[in-house]
Amino acid sequence: MIKIEIDGKLVETERGSTVMDAAHKAGVYIPHFCYHKKLSIAANCRMCLVEVEKVPKPLPACATPASDGMKVHTHSELAAKAQKGVMEFLLINHPLDCPICDQGGECQLQDIAVGYGGGVSRYTEEKRVVMSKSVGELISTNEMTRCIQCTRCVRFGQEIAGVMELGMANRSEHSEIMSFVNSTVDSELSGNMIDLCPVGALTSKPFRYTARSWELSRRKSVSPHDGLGAPLAIHIKNNKVARVVPVENEDINECWISDKDRFSYEGLNSAQRLTKPMLKQDGKWLEVEWATALEYVANGLHQISGSAGAEQIAALATPHSTLEELYLLQKLLRGMGSGNIDTRTRLSDFSADGKQAGAPWLGMPIAEINQCDRFLIVGSFLRKDHPLLAQRIRQAVKNGGEANLVHSSDDDLLMPVANKAIVVPSEILNVLAQVLKALAEEKQATLSADVQQAIGKVNVADSARAIAHSLADGKHAAVLLGNFAQQHPQASQISVICEQIAFLSNAKFGYLGEAANSVGAYLADAVPFAGDGHGMNAAEMLAKPRKAYLLLNVEPELDMHDAQQAMSAMRSADMVVALSAYKHHATEYADVLLPIAPFTETSGTFINTEGRAQSFKGAVKPLGEARPAWKVLRVLGNLMDVSGFDYDSSEAVRDEALDTAQMASKLNNHISGVPLQLNSAATVADLQRVSDVPIYYADAVVRRADSLQKTHDAASPCIILHGNELQKLGVQCGDLVTVKQGDASVSLAVAMDDRLPQGVARVAAGHQATSTLGAMFGTITVERA
Amino acid sequence: MEKIRDFFKTFLLFELLKGMALTGRYMFARKITVQFPEEKTPQGFRFRGLHAQRRYANGEERCIGCKLCEAVCPALAIKIEVAEREDGTRRTTQYDIDLTKCIFCGFCEESCPVDAIVETRIFEYHGENRSDLYYTKPMLLAIGDKNETQIAKDRAADAKYR
Repeated sequence: MIKIEIDGKLVETERGSTVMDAAHKAGVYIPHFCYHKKLSIAANCRMCLVEVEKVPKPLPACATPASDGMKVHTHSELAAKAQKGVMEFLLINHPLDCPICDQGGECQLQDIAVGYGGGVSRYTEEKRVVMSKSVGELISTNEMTRCIQCTRCVRFGQEIAGVMELGMANRSEHSEIMSFVNSTVDSELSGNMIDLCPVGALTSKPFRYTARSWELSRRKSVSPHDGLGAPLAIHIKNNKVARVVPVENEDINECWISDKDRFSYEGLNSAQRLTKPMLKQDGKWLEVEWATALEYVANGLHQISGSAGAEQIAALATPHSTLEELYLLQKLLRGMGSGNIDTRTRLSDFSADGKQAGAPWLGMPIAEINQCDRFLIVGSFLRKDHPLLAQRIRQAVKNGGEANLVHSSDDDLLMPVANKAIVVPSEILNVLAQVLKALAEEKQATLSADVQQAIGKVNVADSARAIAHSLADGKHAAVLLGNFAQQHPQASQISVICEQIAFLSNAKFGYLGEAANSVGAYLADAVPFAGDGHGMNAAEMLAKPRKAYLLLNVEPELDMHDAQQAMSAMRSADMVVALSAYKHHATEYADVLLPIAPFTETSGTFINTEGRAQSFKGAVKPLGEARPAWKVLRVLGNLMDVSGFDYDSSEAVRDEALDTAQMASKLNNHISGVPLQLNSAATVADLQRVSDVPIYYADAVVRRADSLQKTHDAASPCIILHGNELQKLGVQCGDLVTVKQGDASVSLAVAMDDRLPQGVARVAAGHQATSTLGAMFGTITVERA
Repeated sequence: MEKIRDFFKTFLLFELLKGMALTGRYMFARKITVQFPEEKTPQGFRFRGLHAQRRYANGEERCIGCKLCEAVCPALAIKIEVAEREDGTRRTTQYDIDLTKCIFCGFCEESCPVDAIVETRIFEYHGENRSDLYYTKPMLLAIGDKNETQIAKDRAADAKYR
């Protein structure tokens, strides 16, 4: 530690830190544009010039290392004169268009110009003009003339997003920020550049001209999308969500949010929003009063449970629902005498049900990812499924860590991957067994007899040995299971073997939670094996069709593991009640549509993948006659004469559902009693399907966010094959082929990706175009159209 | 002594005569009463009357929808909605002034970066019900179009003081 004096205040700071860091500690503000605490130091805006005693010229605070006994003056005559001079230079080419600039009112340049600049401009010559350019549907670059070349966006791309999509071309007065010729900014974190831009050069395209910053009121909320649960600030104008920006939390999102969190709000104002309860009578949809609709539902459920038994009633919910909603739904179902409730709609292997020691979670706090130096990532489209967790892993790898990947697809993770094994889905378990065996050999550890027996005959490939070596080498390793691994038909086997790998390499073992409330769903008992343990899981409910289905936020053709089976179950049911914020495909098979409020319009709690419960309040009033789902379920509970449904606030539901003191002990990834069985080495002639859920199709809100739907990530799905498979079929990229799975076939365009293993056909799930196909895994046939 | 002076002043109706003298002076002075509406008082170029929206010489409306007038209005009389026009410029889709709320302080005019909203010399306007005094964008533009010559002259006269 060294001592440094800033404006007469003595502060202690670490050796090697800069004057800017010390000033932050001392609580002294130094004006700056290019400096950002999460980015590297560029020192090119020169706004942070300060006077240092015994130095003849002013120095940039962001790039000057603090040294012992240094005396810094940030407001002295010399410093103020330097800052004023820099400000004048910056404003020479900056247009005076604040009145039409979206940044106006929340602009760093405006603020600092008022605070540190001169009163009038002495510059009367012509200003520089930069032509507008297009970099995609999310970021507006129409007014690049406003750019002051701080290069924060460029550094963000290189350092945080992992890909340099914006760069600075040309020199001096001609320098411009631009993307590569004709390319767009496609990073899943690109929206953060809007926040980073200290001027109005990069602004939000969907938000463009909709509001001025002073008209917006700000409410805190939590992201309902991926498992991270990023804290959000919802900006509201006229009882409508106008935009979403991040709230800083060093333990969760640092200061970033993904584009999915940022731009999905457009889905909340979608024209597809359901605003009145609707009933289907004689094949026609009627808008009815809440009382009528709820009574209809209660009567229908009473009849079915009376005539066919309560176990004929099933409930499906997405893990994007709040803890309160899920808790009440399971309480309602169990109160009626049925245990058929599940939220794990995209999972297929339920053999570990009831054998888990607790709710599957990340296995460590999110912030701990940065401390890990070895990663084994199993089955994850990491960047698209968990944009910000991927960012943390990227930082850890940059700091000397090593990432290892076992997966069926080799998408660019935008970070160096030390070792990888890219195999067909049915081989994943075997590869993991190889890693385990190699690890056991390397560590000279003895495995339990049954595991030893199961992996005894495995031949260890070089790639698996390399992964094992990498893991054994580290001090803080982590074994992380992605969405793909959890959706895999052998998910519980994969979990068991990964737990063993983690144990041997002394690693943290965790699941990357698919949705905002994946952990919360377990803690709310919205799983069939909770309670008395007699319930059907998501797969059984569809395999043995029930007479009545309650759907909470679920769109069966898009959210279920086997869309085909789900739809046939829905069509054969006597009664389908869809609680949804949207008028979706359910109009075809449902009998009642109940409009419920999405996350901005209801209070609730999400428990993110690290087991952090975050409660939030409604930010705006529910649209039309939509109501928070917890209220709907509460009234339904009363109508069904289920006892204990007299809540008067969502907090009361939460307090009953969640024992915060006990929560930490309920998070446990340990699985016992699932015997390890490896596949026989039978080769499959057909192609094996690999399904990702594209980032902008993952949940109901984001599916309806217009701008996100125009991005590359939301392009209509095609079937992606290895080049050799294309040759075998005799088709070219872009040709239409017939894709058959189960008894359905669809026509899709072919794309080539030589990074896929041979024998794999990658077809995205969660999209209307592929929703008639069957399970997300399994064999698939491709024929020339 | 004081008491004696008071007694004589009261007894001789001194105060009354003093008041009557003032009345008498005005009886013979020049009258300032104006026979409205045949006659009108002179107005300064800063007169703050009915609002108007101006256009540029090429017919393009000036207002860019920055909403500074809406923000500064102490009576919350202005309501603005903005959208991007087809040519990509920022324009108002709604610009209303509720004249029943307006206190004619002139802040809107002062805050306007493009001299779009101005207060004219017009003060003789009326409405038969409240809604007549709710002025919308076309109405304000029409007032501006009709009185542009006078408005421009007044702004020019005021320019050197700004």
